[in-house]
Amino acid sequence: MFARLVKESFVRNPRRKLLTAAALVVGMAVTTATLTIALEVGDRLAREFRSLGANLLVTPESDTLPVEIGGVDYRPVDEGAYLKEADLGKLKTIFWRHNIFGFTPFLDVPASASDQQDKSPAPVTLVGTWYEHNVPVPDGTTFKTGVRVTHPWWKIEGRWFADDADECVLGAAFAGRVPGIRPGRTIYVREQGVDGKTAATVTPLMVTGIVSADDAEDKAILVPLSVAQRISGHVGEFRQLFVSALTKPADALAERGERAQYDKNIQLTPTEYDRWFCSPYISSISYQIKTVLPGTDVHAIRRVAETEGRVLDRVGTLLWLVTLAALVAAALAVAATSATTVLERQAEIGVMKALGASNALVNGIFLAEQVLLAIIGGVIGFIAGTALARILGTSVFGSPASPRLILLPIVLALAAIVAIAGSLLPLRRAAHFEPALILRGG
Amino acid sequence: MMFWRLVFQLLRRSRGRLVVAMLAIVSGAAVISALLNLDLGVQNKLTQEFRSLGANIVISPANGPPTMEGAATPSLMREDEVLHSLQRLQSPQVVAAVPYLYIVARTQDTPVVVTGTWLDQAQKIEPTWKLEGNWISSRDDESHCLIGRAVARQLHLAPDGQLKLDYVNRTTQCTVAGVVDAGGTADNQVFANLHTVQSLANLPGQIGLVQISVSGAPENVADYAARLAAALPSGAQLRPIRQVTEAEGSLLGRIQFLIISMVVLILILTAFCVLGTMAALAMERRKDVGLMKSLGGSISRIMGLFLAEVGVLGAVGGLIGAILGVTLSYWMGLRVFGAAISPRWEIFPVTILLMIVVAMAGALPLRTLGDVKPAVILRGE
Repeated sequence: MFARLVKESFVRNPRRKLLTAAALVVGMAVTTATLTIALEVGDRLAREFRSLGANLLVTPESDTLPVEIGGVDYRPVDEGAYLKEADLGKLKTIFWRHNIFGFTPFLDVPASASDQQDKSPAPVTLVGTWYEHNVPVPDGTTFKTGVRVTHPWWKIEGRWFADDADECVLGAAFAGRVPGIRPGRTIYVREQGVDGKTAATVTPLMVTGIVSADDAEDKAILVPLSVAQRISGHVGEFRQLFVSALTKPADALAERGERAQYDKNIQLTPTEYDRWFCSPYISSISYQIKTVLPGTDVHAIRRVAETEGRVLDRVGTLLWLVTLAALVAAALAVAATSATTVLERQAEIGVMKALGASNALVNGIFLAEQVLLAIIGGVIGFIAGTALARILGTSVFGSPASPRLILLPIVLALAAIVAIAGSLLPLRRAAHFEPALILRGG
Repeated sequence: MMFWRLVFQLLRRSRGRLVVAMLAIVSGAAVISALLNLDLGVQNKLTQEFRSLGANIVISPANGPPTMEGAATPSLMREDEVLHSLQRLQSPQVVAAVPYLYIVARTQDTPVVVTGTWLDQAQKIEPTWKLEGNWISSRDDESHCLIGRAVARQLHLAPDGQLKLDYVNRTTQCTVAGVVDAGGTADNQVFANLHTVQSLANLPGQIGLVQISVSGAPENVADYAARLAAALPSGAQLRPIRQVTEAEGSLLGRIQFLIISMVVLILILTAFCVLGTMAALAMERRKDVGLMKSLGGSISRIMGLFLAEVGVLGAVGGLIGAILGVTLSYWMGLRVFGAAISPRWEIFPVTILLMIVVAMAGALPLRTLGDVKPAVILRGE
C-alpha cells in the first residue's frame, strides 16, 4: 500500500516532481563536477607548471667552481668534473620515476666558428644538448626527452638538429652577428683549447635553424650532445643535467627531510622517513636522484620549485573553498525546492489526514518520495557532472578529468540528506494542519 | 500610495514564507559576491606570488653591427642612461629594477664570477634566496658582500670571513655578510657592491644587465615593457624573459578560467534556489489574487504588485548578501593568500541587480495567475 501510494504520486503527477528533480540534478551535477576537478587540479596544475622548465639541476659533486655568466660556462673544457651519459637511464628507475617529466644534459665547449672555411674564426660557445633523444632505460624500454620537454619556451625558426647528425642550431644573438646566415648554410667550428689555442680539426656543421632562448644560449651555437662530445674529446660525458619533475608542494616534513641530509641534529623517525621518501617532494626526488647518480650534487632550482609550491598551495585551498561554496549552494537549492513541493501539496496532505492517515504515515510517504527522487536525481546528476568535469578539464587543462566512481555514493548520500532536510520543516508544519481547514481552502 | 501600502502589507503578512525566500536570496548573493570579489582579487594576488620567479624583463646592451669578430668581449651599456629612462617610467607595478655588472675575478687563485649590483635590492628581485648570515641593507655599503653557497664551500668561507678579489692588477677586499642558497647559478657567484666592481674592473658607470620584476596581469606587463622599450637609449635593448612570462600567462589564464566556470555553475545553482522559493511564494499568493480580482483589480495591476514585492525582496536580499559576501571574500583572502582582498564596490550593484533579475524570474509562475478564476480560488480549490 505504502509503495503503491509513493508510486502513484510519481505516475499521476510527474510535473510536480519536476522542479525538485531538476534542482537535484543540477545541484548534484555541479557537486560532482567541482569535486572531480578539485581532486584533480593539484596534479594537473603541477603538470602545467612544467612549462616553467626544469626544477632540478644536477652537477658533478667534486666540480671546480663554475665560471658561468648568464648560463655559459667559461671554464676551459679540461677543468672540472664530468658526468656519464650512460647513467642517465637510471633516472627512470627511481621510486618516483613516473614523476620524472624529462631531463636534458648539457656540455658547453669553448670554440671558435666562422661561416667560411678560410675566414678568421670568432670565439663562441658550443652548447651540446638533446632536442629529442631516446634514452635507454635499464628495464629495456626507452624514454624520449630533451630540451623540448625541459625548455619548452625556446622558439625555433627552421627545424631542430637531428640527434647525432653534423648539424647545428644558432642562437638568435649569434645569428644576428653573422651576415647572411640562414638555415641550409654551413658553419665551421674548432675547439678552443685550455691555453687559448685553436685546435686544428675543423668540423663543418649544417645550420638547420635559429633558436631564441631569451638566455645565454642566444649567443651560442647549439649542437647535438654527441657532436659536442666528439669535438671536446669528452665522449659519453656531460657537465650539467636539468631535470623537470612533477612534485608536491613542500610542507614541514619535506623541510625536515631535506635538512636531515646534512644536519646531524635532525633525525627522522622510520615512519617519517618512509612518508618523506614516498612523497614526491622535490627534496625526496633529488635524494633519490643522488642515490642513482653517485658523485653528483642535486639542487632544487629554488626559483621554480618555490613559486610552484606556493601557487599550487594557494590555488588548491582556493579551489576547495569554491567547492565548498558550490556544495552549500547545491544544498540550498535542493532544500528550497523540496520545501516548495511539500507546500504545494497541502491539499493532498489534507485528504490523507481526513482519510485517517497518521502524521507518521504522511511523513513516511513524503520522505520516501524525496529519497527516491534524490536517488534518481543523484544518479543523473552524477552522470551529467562527470560529463561536465570532462568538458571543464578539456577546456582548462587540455585533457578530460577522469571520472571518479568513489564520488557516486557521496553524491547520492548528500542528495538524500539535503532533500530530506529540505522537506522536514514544511512537513512539521503540515503536521499541525487541520484537514478540514485545508480542504475548505483556508 | 495605495500600491506601495499594498506591497508592504503583502510583505508583512506572509513573514514565514518571506524569511525562507530572503534566506535563499541572501545566501545566494553572498556566495556570488564573495566569488566575484575573490575572482577579481585572485589575479592580483597570484601575479604577486609569481614574482618569486624573479625578473620577467631584462635590459641588455643592444647587438652591435653584424660582424663575427670580437664576439667574446662582453658588451656594456651606460648605467646613468638606462637608469634615467627607468626613472622616467616609474610605476607602482615595478617590484624591483636592479643593474648588474658581471666580471671574472680571481680569489685564492680560483676564477670566480663577481656580480656587481645593488645589494639592498637582492631580496626583492630574488625572493626565494635563502640566506645564512645577514642581508645588506645599504646600497652604498662597499665593505660587505654576499657569496653563493658553492663559493663558500669551495673557498671555505663563512659569514664574517674576509674575501679578497683580484682583477688583473687591482685588488679589493670585502667582509662576507651572508651565504646565499639560491639553487641556481647564483650559488657560484660573489655579489658585491656595483661601484666596487666597476672600479675593480675599471669600467666606471658601465653595466651589463638590468633585471626588472614587474607585477600585474600579463597584458599590463607587456604594456609596460613596450613603453620602457621605447624610452630606452640606443645602446640598450629590452627583452621579456619568456620562460617566466609565458608560463605565468598560461597558468593565470587556466586558474582564472577554472574559477570563473565554478562561479557560473554556482550562479546557476543559486538561481535555482531562489526560483524554487519564489515559485512557492507565488503558489501561496493565489488566494490573494483571487480576492483582488473579485474586488475588480486588473491583472496588470496585480502583477505589478507582486513584481514590486519580489523586486524589493531581491534588492534587500542582494544588498545584505553582497555585504556578507564581500566580508566572506575578505576572510577567504586572509585564509588563502595571507592578505586581505579589498572589496570592489562594483560588486554591490552587480549582485543586487542579479538578485532582482533572478527573483523576478522566480516569480514567473505568477504569470499563470492571469487565468485564475476568482470564484474557484475563493472556494478553496
